[in-house]
Amino acid sequence: MRFAARRLAQAIPLLFIVSVLVFALIHAAPGGPLSLYLDNPNVRPEDIARLRRAMGLDQPLGVQYVAWLGAFVRGDWGYSYADGRPVLARMLERLPPTLELVGVATLVAVGVSMVVGIAAALRRGADRAASVVAVAGLSIPVFWLGLVLQLLFSNALGWLPSSGRASFGGGGIADRLAHLVLPVTVLAVAHAAGWSRYLRGSMRLALAQPFANAARARGVTEGRIVLRHALRHALLPFATVVLLDASIMASGAVVTESVFAWPGIGSLFTEALAKRDYTVLMAFLMCASIAVVTLSFLADVAVHALDPRTRDQA
Amino acid sequence: MIAIPRLRRSAASLGMTIVLGLAGCAKDAGHGGASNALLIVGYDREPDTMNRYATHILEDIQSCVVEGLVTSDEQMNVVPVLAAEIPTIQNGGVVMRPDGGMDVTWKLRPNVKWHDGKPHTSADVKFTVDAINKGDWKPESTDGFDRIASVDTPDSLTAVVHYKEVYAPYQMQFFRGTLPKHVLDGRDIDKANDYNRSPLGTGPYRITEWKTGEYVLLDKVKDYWRGPEYPKIDRLLFRFLANTTTRINQLRSGEVHLVALVPWDKVRELRGLASVRLNQVLGNGYEHVTLNERHFPAFQDVRVRRALAHAIDRELLVRTILDSLVTTVNGPIQPLSWAYEPNVRRYDYDTTAANRLLDEAGWKRGADGVRVKDGKPLAFTLITQAGFAIRENVSQAIQRQFRDVGVNTSVKLIDGTSISSVWFSGDFDAMLHWWQSGADPEITLFFASDRTPPAGRNINYFADDSLTRVLYASDRTVDQPKRAELLKAAQRRVAELVPELVLYNTSKIDAVPAALRNFKGNPTNAGPFWNVHEWELGAPR
Repeated sequence: MRFAARRLAQAIPLLFIVSVLVFALIHAAPGGPLSLYLDNPNVRPEDIARLRRAMGLDQPLGVQYVAWLGAFVRGDWGYSYADGRPVLARMLERLPPTLELVGVATLVAVGVSMVVGIAAALRRGADRAASVVAVAGLSIPVFWLGLVLQLLFSNALGWLPSSGRASFGGGGIADRLAHLVLPVTVLAVAHAAGWSRYLRGSMRLALAQPFANAARARGVTEGRIVLRHALRHALLPFATVVLLDASIMASGAVVTESVFAWPGIGSLFTEALAKRDYTVLMAFLMCASIAVVTLSFLADVAVHALDPRTRDQA
Repeated sequence: MIAIPRLRRSAASLGMTIVLGLAGCAKDAGHGGASNALLIVGYDREPDTMNRYATHILEDIQSCVVEGLVTSDEQMNVVPVLAAEIPTIQNGGVVMRPDGGMDVTWKLRPNVKWHDGKPHTSADVKFTVDAINKGDWKPESTDGFDRIASVDTPDSLTAVVHYKEVYAPYQMQFFRGTLPKHVLDGRDIDKANDYNRSPLGTGPYRITEWKTGEYVLLDKVKDYWRGPEYPKIDRLLFRFLANTTTRINQLRSGEVHLVALVPWDKVRELRGLASVRLNQVLGNGYEHVTLNERHFPAFQDVRVRRALAHAIDRELLVRTILDSLVTTVNGPIQPLSWAYEPNVRRYDYDTTAANRLLDEAGWKRGADGVRVKDGKPLAFTLITQAGFAIRENVSQAIQRQFRDVGVNTSVKLIDGTSISSVWFSGDFDAMLHWWQSGADPEITLFFASDRTPPAGRNINYFADDSLTRVLYASDRTVDQPKRAELLKAAQRRVAELVPELVLYNTSKIDAVPAALRNFKGNPTNAGPFWNVHEWELGAPR
């Protein structure tokens, strides 16, 4: 408990520093919520100046930050500069699709990386094949893979819908699952590639430990050693990596969501970035930071609970 | 050893079974061709608001719902919609007052009802002007409205708009329609999300569903004022597909039926698709290189500007990079406009002339081939929008062509949001970009000497007194033939002095179902949906 409390206390100043940095960075980027108006000759500069005043964008940056922080900690996340609706409502309506996509992709990636990682740790042939596939998976750009899968499975073969979360008027479960296949594949490929290498490494280490040899000496079958002894040992660091990556994925399925027109929080972020929708950007980045901090906290606590050796220092 | 390979095999075959099973199901859902029951539009962005007065971007969805008193058609003619006719001096609709102001009388079309059954009247026109001029909310543009002193409504179908001064583009004043008084009177319009998300209109469609991040669904209204035969298509679905390649892929797979404004570099992919017809119209915009005379003073010499104009082989750019989808033009007012002047000084590709002009201007070639004057090289940076493939290629081609006449150009790509604030601050040498305008041919804000930012968009920082005088005279001239004469003189002067390097017209290409009839396209930001009520698929029913 004391361990958890101490880790929590560290998180608050960290989040404060993050908020200052993020606020400064997004305002330092050229342009603002009104810069797209400039391209339209029919919007006069005096109208842009009037809108700036109305939005409070003419205030000094420090004043804007304090106003934002004060409201944010009270739970008032403000209104979107783009459509004038509450930021919280905009984020909440985009959250379920992202959780669905990332949740399924994480499950698939964990399953695949466990199978591949264990096989690679045990067999040299499987290891070679897996490492080639993993390097490919890690190095293929997500947007490229997404577009190629679209061309193949929806344009050439016509098997799967190219994008979106559901067909119009056909929101049945099979239709929803069909829409998930391609984006989940793209997301899972990149993560399974990394995770399987990670698991393979820690499995190798675990299998070379004295306890594995001791088990062999006692006549425990190899399958039992792998699944009951080594895997349990190797899962600790693996779980940490998966949790941290999943939290980043939850905020960072940005490219996948954009390619597949997935109506999640990542595509909201892309849109907000292009429009310099400061309130949405701040809320999004703060939520992402909080998610990372929370999940790394959970990962620490989980390791703490799973591994008795880490408890002694607490 | 444990049986992992077997496990993997069965997992793989299970996965394959699921994929194929889903594929079978997915084929049944959707993927139907376009029909009069449903037309699916692949749309490049989600609107921020449906309130036409609160947005600055193309308003295709809105224009199916909220009609203007006028719109502009595929030839850029201003045509009446909710107005019975266009007021002009000739028909007595416009009267110049001795005090320097003017009165415009709008006669409204009778028997037009809002979708809730209430009549559309001159009170709505007056309310719109008052609401915008009250200034307690955030309309996107107050242009023209701030010149209106008051509106009289002698009867329910007549609105007399009293302007404080002469305002030549008055015909487009109510292009965005009117705000319904009975819904919005006394309210904070910024917060009226019922209206802003689903506006009450008079148009052929109403918004029935807006699924954030996914689509907007429009259903046809009963009792549309043009008669029970309109509109022909029952439902329009706008799917938001921000990624261009995804949008084109969906069109090819038949998941969407219509994509407006296909980027020029994607047109080739759509040729030969039996289900799609490409509709092309001239645009009311022009791609050009802005020469910032304040930031790079060498541009202040007209000989340098003329030399650069001669140095660009525009026909080559059009033939190669642009696949001949656009045509070269020679000035800021486009061929479809009533104010267009074709007989202007032209700058054909001529490196001999370019070299001679630069020699005359005192820019001599240095050892490395780059011209130098007073110890300074003729070298500048050309900025353009990153990710706009055509522009990236055109800017590199221009860089090469300038190099041939001893001018050194470096190309800098800037993302679409940042570049606006860069040019507005004037912190650049030259920029490849376009202006897209509405149907009115005003160009004062681009060329008058006192309209440099923040007062306008003269980002050439170009000053010519006689041009400025002619432009302001044209703004104060309501009579169209007279105004056209002034604007033609202005175009000749612009071509003479070549403040910017005009390249080509921004033609607009829409991909529509092959069987769609009465689709006409639109050169301006009125957008191709201006006549959506006439659209019809297949044979007449």
